[in-house]
Amino acid sequence: MSNFMRLSFKNVFRNRRRTAITGLVLVFGATALILAGGFIAYSFRGLSESTIHGELGHIQLFNKEYLLHEEDRPLELGLDSADAMKKKIMMVDHVRFTMARIDFMGLISNGDKSEAFLGRGVEPDKELKLSDLGLNMDRGQFLDQDPSDMKDNQVVLASGLAKTMKAKLGDYLTLMTTMSTGALNALDVKVVGVYSTGIPEYDERALMVDLNTAQQILNSKKVTKLVVVLDQTDETTKVAAQLERMFPNVTAKRWFDLATFYNSVVRLYNAIFGFLGIIIFVIVVLSSSNTMMMSIFERTKGIGTQLAVGTSRPRLMLNFVCEGLIIGVLGALLGLAIAYGLSVLINNSNIMMPAPPGRTTGYPLLVDTVPMLFAGVFVLMSLTTVVSSVIPAFKASRLKIVDALGHI
Amino acid sequence: MSKKGNDMNPLVQTKEIIKTYTLGRTEVHALRGLSLDIEPGEFTAISGPSGSGKTTLLNLLGLIDSPTSGTVFLEGSQVKYNGLTKLHSIRLEKLGFIFQTFNLIPVLTAYENVEYPLLLAKKSSLQRREMVEKVLREVRLWEFRKHKPNELSGGQRQRVAIARALVNRPKLILADEPTANIDSATASEILDLMHALNEEDNVTFLFSTHDQLVMQHARRIVKLHDGVIIRD
Repeated sequence: MSNFMRLSFKNVFRNRRRTAITGLVLVFGATALILAGGFIAYSFRGLSESTIHGELGHIQLFNKEYLLHEEDRPLELGLDSADAMKKKIMMVDHVRFTMARIDFMGLISNGDKSEAFLGRGVEPDKELKLSDLGLNMDRGQFLDQDPSDMKDNQVVLASGLAKTMKAKLGDYLTLMTTMSTGALNALDVKVVGVYSTGIPEYDERALMVDLNTAQQILNSKKVTKLVVVLDQTDETTKVAAQLERMFPNVTAKRWFDLATFYNSVVRLYNAIFGFLGIIIFVIVVLSSSNTMMMSIFERTKGIGTQLAVGTSRPRLMLNFVCEGLIIGVLGALLGLAIAYGLSVLINNSNIMMPAPPGRTTGYPLLVDTVPMLFAGVFVLMSLTTVVSSVIPAFKASRLKIVDALGHI
Repeated sequence: MSKKGNDMNPLVQTKEIIKTYTLGRTEVHALRGLSLDIEPGEFTAISGPSGSGKTTLLNLLGLIDSPTSGTVFLEGSQVKYNGLTKLHSIRLEKLGFIFQTFNLIPVLTAYENVEYPLLLAKKSSLQRREMVEKVLREVRLWEFRKHKPNELSGGQRQRVAIARALVNRPKLILADEPTANIDSATASEILDLMHALNEEDNVTFLFSTHDQLVMQHARRIVKLHDGVIIRD
């Protein structure tokens, strides 16, 4: 076999310019796929981490009924023994910490005007531990981390809502909402900070208060959910299953079950990457098929000779397929090396990308080096040239010997 | 191939072979019921003007083309062209080809070109080395073994082609106008070489030619005209 591979290898370099052009197409294809794939991998990684640490945590625990039925009143389907649950959850492997949240809505008023809000009751110290990526304070400070220090009920407003309410730090606003009993309640809160989420629609409506303040205005000791933060993202599914076994009346949602934006981006990027892959595949197939056809045309007489001296048709076909494989392997290897070099260059160039759709802040252009991607592109490029050499190789092997020998 | 059942068979025998080509709407009758016997050890030239059917006859005897009708026997066995017979194996084991334009594989050295049929025949590395060296020394090209065809003269290339044809020790070597592309001195040298191989190793040679020099060397001349033998 190695001797016939040697013949294929020599034939590959018979017309070096043409082989080089096909090789360049492969290099371009491999480089484009690896850089695009590396960028997408970085984007997925960055987006998943910002989704986890900016908002969702790794796992969220809900009352089973909460996700199945609409609540008639706030916290009607909340978790009512959150503190006891938290203690048990902290015993589970890979759990860094857990915290309670209350989601509620109502109207916020400055005396002159009222606006609808989406409120969240939080444990400030733990939210700060989680939100090292996602919570950007524009002005002021976050909620006091020790609620006992609070003289007033505090609120932090998202930037859009603060602008709408013309709220300054230290201003008092009134939150109005329906209590868990169904009656209306109102509470004065002091603006201590303004933050941005990066999502304009959310910034128009969002605010946060301390968990106790939320429970006070809603007149309930329940919480909407428990957020669980792990030390390793990869453990999410395993821990979620474990928590569901521990708490039969609870549903554990993994971060990617809840991350609609993340999932949309993944679908979009995967579609783009798939489309890019198809285009590159077609370009490489056409280019290397053309090379093989030209090569066969040039070598028709030689093919006739090879068949005349006793080469079997399958052997001849195999020779041409080997030529395709050699071009593919060499082109792919060079492409991988160039792609790696470019990845390093890009990662050290501090290039900033514009803000993605639905976001207000840009992010650095970085390319992840993913071994599986390199391996996949290598296999794809090699197989592509093999596939594109099959038809020309078959045609070569079916040539009539006398016609091939008479070819000029 | 199917055996005829006679131990004293000619090496090659054709019976009433007809070969007709279709060129567009025109039918060209290249061979018209030709019968010919070639015995082992012959050194035979097939002569005739262009279009007389020389190359067509060689192609049929070399099993690289099939007759429109008639039969070809090789060592007493009828050649079947039904696709079930591995004709490439017969070509590899029993036949050698020498072409007018040498037809060497340009990317291979002289040594590798000669070695090629042995690779197909799955000879061991040691066997290949011994057989290639022997035949390259026979054609006096051992010193040029590392040269590629484009680094050799026309005569040297033809000697490489002869070595390639000989290396598997075939029963029959078919040479299509082997001296057409080389000068007369080199042609004479090549013919002397083939003659020596014929006499020393009893290799059967069958030429197609209209070169007088080749005909002078031949012990038998078969003259074709319009696809039939007019003199033998």
